[in-house]
Amino acid sequence: MSSSEAGRMEAVLADSTDLRVWDVPVRAMHWSLVIGIGVCWWTGVNNELEYHLWSGYAVLWIVLMRLYWGLVGSSTARFVNFVRGPKAILDYASTLHRRDTPHTHGHNALGAISIVLMLGLVLAVVVLGLFAVDVDGLYSGPLSLYVTFKQGRRLAHLHYDWFNVLLWVIGLHLAAVIFYFLYKRQNLIGPMIHGKRRVDAAAAADAEMKIAPLWRFVIGAVIVTFIVYAVSVAFYF
Amino acid sequence: MSALNFRCAAAAVCVTLGLAIVGAAAGPAEIAQIKPRQDKLRDMGGALKAINDDIKRGRIDWDNTVIPNAQTIKDRSAYLLNWFPKGSGPETGKKTYALPAIWQKNDEFQKFGKAAQAEAAKLNEIALKKDESGLKAQAIATGKACKACHDNYRSPDYEKENEDE
Repeated sequence: MSSSEAGRMEAVLADSTDLRVWDVPVRAMHWSLVIGIGVCWWTGVNNELEYHLWSGYAVLWIVLMRLYWGLVGSSTARFVNFVRGPKAILDYASTLHRRDTPHTHGHNALGAISIVLMLGLVLAVVVLGLFAVDVDGLYSGPLSLYVTFKQGRRLAHLHYDWFNVLLWVIGLHLAAVIFYFLYKRQNLIGPMIHGKRRVDAAAAADAEMKIAPLWRFVIGAVIVTFIVYAVSVAFYF
Repeated sequence: MSALNFRCAAAAVCVTLGLAIVGAAAGPAEIAQIKPRQDKLRDMGGALKAINDDIKRGRIDWDNTVIPNAQTIKDRSAYLLNWFPKGSGPETGKKTYALPAIWQKNDEFQKFGKAAQAEAAKLNEIALKKDESGLKAQAIATGKACKACHDNYRSPDYEKENEDE
């Protein structure tokens, strides 16, 4: 390595800094949702419905927390900061083929659609599951006492059909992450694990994430835990 | 072609056609089992759901819910094994969740059926005694007896369209 090369590298390193992109709750919710959906999938297909119920409650808890965090969480977690209108989405989509586009801080306009779609689908599948009845009338969803056996069986089939739609959207999400990694040379997985992304020092100054305090998460956790508990006992206390 | 030859050929055609028709129909009596057996099994599932719903509510209505539904499950379970005559499976071409394993491993299937009958009888006893402390455990045991058979001898939900039309 020549001295001029070493000098250049030093300069690059000196000018770059770690920018926080995702806070701890967002990362924890993302990966626990991955595990939760995986457990739901396995237990559902293998008819381990006793555990399917528990993993379903866990996924319901995570999705409700993510929705709450989308309202009061850190800046990159909030829906107002990443859900965009059709014009912004089309503008972003028209630059998708280019490799030199800047890295979006947080979710990009197109990715926002898949986030909203995935959260909505997960919630829809869980709600269908709450009313679904198993073939034995043994491990039915907690709210199935508000529907008949026949209606509940129908909802169990819809629960499965909509899960399949969710799997396709998750597939699209994974394809997009791979596309960014291979084509745009942007690693989106790393920041979702350690929360940071390396950027130019100049760019970092005005893009710093506003981190929400932990007590706000705790308040939400208490409320959401109560809601999930109430649902699990079908509001019969 | 001589008259004798013609008669032989005609007879052969008739026999072949006749066999084909009998084979394709797979026995109308067997096909006729499918729909009523689905209806009766669905009634049993609905009956257990009704009992479990009361348990979940924590408000057990013995006379209107538990006793009549436990009776339904017990009565129907007594005939359970008669509903699956050989030839009433998927080979009928009808929409059925019944798997060929029912007839391939019929000894085991019969054992599961008898176990379900035993659990259903116990559930009925507990219902008649209005034994609140034993009801929940026996409802689970009965459901598991249903599930044991369904896990091995019934197609999973996701492999078929909705069963009731």
